[in-house]
Order: sequence, then C-alpha cells, then structure tokens
Amino acid sequence: MTALVELRDLCIRAPERALVDGVDVTVMPGRVTALVGPSGAGKSLTARAVMCVLDVAPGLERGELRYPALDPHTDWYEGVRGAGVRAQQALLRRSRSLRGAYLTYSPQAASSALNPGRTIGHQLALAIGRRAEAPTDLSGEIRRILDQVGLAHTASAALPRELSGGMAQRAALAIAVAPKPRLVIADEPETGLDPVLRRAVIELLVDVCRDEGAGLLLISHHASTVRRIADDVVRLRGPDGEEGGA
Amino acid sequence: MTQGPVVSVRGLHKTFIQSGPWPWSPRREVHAVQGVDFDVAPGEVVALVGQSGSGKTTVSRIVLGLEEPTRGEIWLNGSRWDGLPESQRRGRRVDYQYVPQDAMGALDPQQTALEHVEETLSVLGGLTRVEAREKGGDMLARLGLGKRLRALPREMSGGEQRRVTLARVLALEPRLVVADEPTSGLDPDRRESVLEALIGNLPSHAGCILVTHDMAEARGWCDRILAMLAGRVIEEVDLKHAEPRHPYARVLFDPWSAPVPRGPLASVGCPFLHDCGLASEGLRGRCASTVPVLAPQDDPRHSVACFAHAGASAAGGGSR
Repeated sequence: MTALVELRDLCIRAPERALVDGVDVTVMPGRVTALVGPSGAGKSLTARAVMCVLDVAPGLERGELRYPALDPHTDWYEGVRGAGVRAQQALLRRSRSLRGAYLTYSPQAASSALNPGRTIGHQLALAIGRRAEAPTDLSGEIRRILDQVGLAHTASAALPRELSGGMAQRAALAIAVAPKPRLVIADEPETGLDPVLRRAVIELLVDVCRDEGAGLLLISHHASTVRRIADDVVRLRGPDGEEGGA
Repeated sequence: MTQGPVVSVRGLHKTFIQSGPWPWSPRREVHAVQGVDFDVAPGEVVALVGQSGSGKTTVSRIVLGLEEPTRGEIWLNGSRWDGLPESQRRGRRVDYQYVPQDAMGALDPQQTALEHVEETLSVLGGLTRVEAREKGGDMLARLGLGKRLRALPREMSGGEQRRVTLARVLALEPRLVVADEPTSGLDPDRRESVLEALIGNLPSHAGCILVTHDMAEARGWCDRILAMLAGRVIEEVDLKHAEPRHPYARVLFDPWSAPVPRGPLASVGCPFLHDCGLASEGLRGRCASTVPVLAPQDDPRHSVACFAHAGASAAGGGSR
C-alpha cells in the first residue's frame, strides 16, 4: 500500500527557537494517524506543513514532504528549505491544486468555517466541483453526502446560522469529504462539543474516511478518542520537552 | 453555627416561547428547565453537566437573576431572589458573580490586566483607586499573572485572558461564583491551571457552580455533580464516593462505553427511553408513561432518576 503523505525530519524555526524539530508523519489510505502533544508542541503547525502551508519566519529549516500516492519522487520542500518566506509563499501557490482535491482540511470551529451567506447545499456543490470528475447528478450527490453525515436533505437549503453546533460540525465534515479527497486533515474537530456529540462526530469522521478509502490525520486532545480510533500515533514534545496532552 | 446554603433552588421551571422564521409562523413552547431542585453549601463546588441543550446554562443564568423562572423559587443566602425588582437586586449582585465562557469578549481590548481588576474593585467593590490597585495586583499575582499586570488582552494567551476574568471576580470576594464553561477551547494543561486558579482561590465562605462539558474536570474539581437531561436533573452524585448509575450519566462520563444515543428524546415518560439499555420488559411500560424523579441510593448524597435503580419514584403527576 502506498502512503498518502510522507513527511520526514520536519524542522520549522521562529526567530528565537525551533517550533517543531525532527517530526516524521506518515498517513496510509484507510488508516487514522493521530497527532498528539501538549500546548505549543506544534501540532497545528505540523498539520499545516503537511498541506504545504508554511507561514512562519524564518520558517522551514529542514524536512522532506512527499505524496507517494500522487508522485513518489517529488519533494515538495525542494528549494524551500532555509529559503525564507518568499519561497514558502511560492510553495503555497504551487500546491494550490492539491488542496480540495487530494487533501482537505476540517477546521476546529466548524460554524466559523462555513460561509454564513451561502446555503449548505451551495457550499457542498462548490466542494464537489473540486473533484477531478464532476458527478452526473449533482443534487443526487449532495443528498448522498448529507445522508452519509446524518443530515436531513432539508439541510441543503439551510444557512449555517440555522444549524445547531452538532449539525454545523456535520456540515463542515460533509464539505471536507465532498471533493472525495485521498487525505483528510482534521484539527480538533471535537472542540467545544459535549462528550456524546464528540464521540458521534469522531466516529462519523472515521467511518466516512474509511468508506471512501481516505487517510485521516487527526489532531486531538482527548486521550480516550485517540486510544479508541487511531491506528498510528505521532507524539510531539512541548516547548519544555514534556510529552503531555493525549 | 451551621451556615445555611448559599443557593437553594426549588421546583425551578423555565419555558421559552420560540418564534418561527416568519411573523405568521406558529410559536412553540420550549421547556428548557422542568422541575430542578438543588442546594449549594458554602465552600462547595457543584458541577452542572449534560449535553448542549440540557438546560444547564439556563439554570445558572436563572440563579444569577439574568433570566426569570417561569415557576419555582431561588433563595440566595436565605433570602428570596427570584421576582425581586432590579433596584433591590443591584446592591446584592456584587456577591453573586459570573465567569463567562468567552473571556476575550468579556475583556476591554484597551485595558491592561491590572486596570480590569482595579476598575471592578473601585466601581463594584467601593475601594479607592489606590486600594483597588494594590488589591488587584495581589489577586493577579496569586493567579500567576504578577508579571503580566500591564499586558493588554490581545497580548495574552487564552489561559491568561481567562485568569484575568477570574481575578476580576475573585477579588470581589463573592459568596457565589457561577462559571459557565470557563475552560472551553483551552488545551488540557491550560484547563487545569484555570481551574486551579478558580477553585484554589475561592473564598472559604463561597459556593461555586461550574457548568462544564468536560467530565474529567467535573470529576477532578467538584464536590458534587448534577447531571442534566432535557431540563431535569437525572443524577446527583459525589464521585469521590460513588460512580454514576443512570444510563445517560454513564454515557456522559464514558461516551465510548455504550452505543452513541441516537435519540430523539422521548416526549412522554423517561426522556432517555429510546436509548436506554436498562429498561427491561417489566419496566418498559412504566418508563414509557411516567417521568422518574430523583430517588436516594445507598449513599444519601447519591440520587438517581431511573426506575431500574431501586427506590426511584414517579414525578408528582407529570407524565409529560
């Protein structure tokens, strides 16, 4: 089985210290890799680096990033290591076609990530439009995805403000999987949810990814979540060297 | 001398009228709180736990007089609190303080940490500017912000912002602190430091109601836990001496221990009926028709509203 992403020896520096140093991440199709560690360990920074989003100065010092399932030879960090912010911005532009089609991102605060002025159906249609092959029946596909995440078909006509917190989280998840990505990156999708809803959202995320054969890179603070659903765990050390968190 | 409870809540009900999307849409009643009773003793920390929409925030807002109950009584330090005009409440409000969920929204972006506490102490606490500055500085130092007195909210971390909101409340030496998810959105290690700052610095005569989604917090920091479902308390337990017994409370404390409740909540009888694994054939008729009320278990501080646990009785006439 070919890995979806291979990140090797990532080191990102801020002026005063290394924010992450020597981190390796591999995500395989149909498997869940959890990224855990205490506050300030660089979990979100690492997840963004996997998406070629580097926005720290001086920034990337070392590391290699490959998407073997797409192209086993290309190191996306070539020419970016130690080259500063402009090279990082160029990488961001160069990698644009990856985001949305090959990999998608499910953010921490679902309700703020949804477009408040567009219906859920419209936002899903835009996400489906990122696929390499457009479906023949767009509205049928929207209904299928809503079924998959447990939302009623009427949610298609709803604006984000008309959804409860749990429904908004499901809608954000639907938008993340709508382009049929090979890799889903979820940054603490359970933040702010109550324990029952937290489990429901995580289970749904894992089920949808497994149904679609996609890999999942999950950032989570909850030890019980990680213990139950992760196939592989990447532990990051905090700024003081401690291995807290989940 | 035995001190009476800081808070006594008796037969609390709250019904909201929800309008539809259009002026001509039918209105419907939402029964947010349906018969809640509890006390908070001086020095006691009580957790209100439950899923979103279970009524815990509504109860805490009614206790503080930010909402009026539809029915029921609130007593604060032995005096009736509900139904009082605001002119009579205002002088007492300083004793009953609220810690909000959104710390950044509660802070003035142009005031430093010290100015926030100083202003509160001089306006609400009646201290002179000099006294307020000294006392405010001491309180911030106790909460680990001694070197951040001049920091503006945008220069502080999420945990530091929350500790400023706590310092502002604790410096007033209140009799009751109601904290509505004060650690929401923080990392586990920062959550611990915020709770340590709150509960470790409560005045000895003060009670505290902690509204939380985090069961580890409730277990680690609270003397008693009230688990709420559909506007009712379904279990009251001191986790140092007993474990939750109500099937819903057990799911709350370990969501991976049983299948996720799929709902919907039953509108007649026990609200958890559709997802309950305990309702045997013999009990099901009773569970489907009658709302169970809290019944004491072996430990007098432990009560459960479930017919599957011996001693549970039916609600006084309510079958809704």
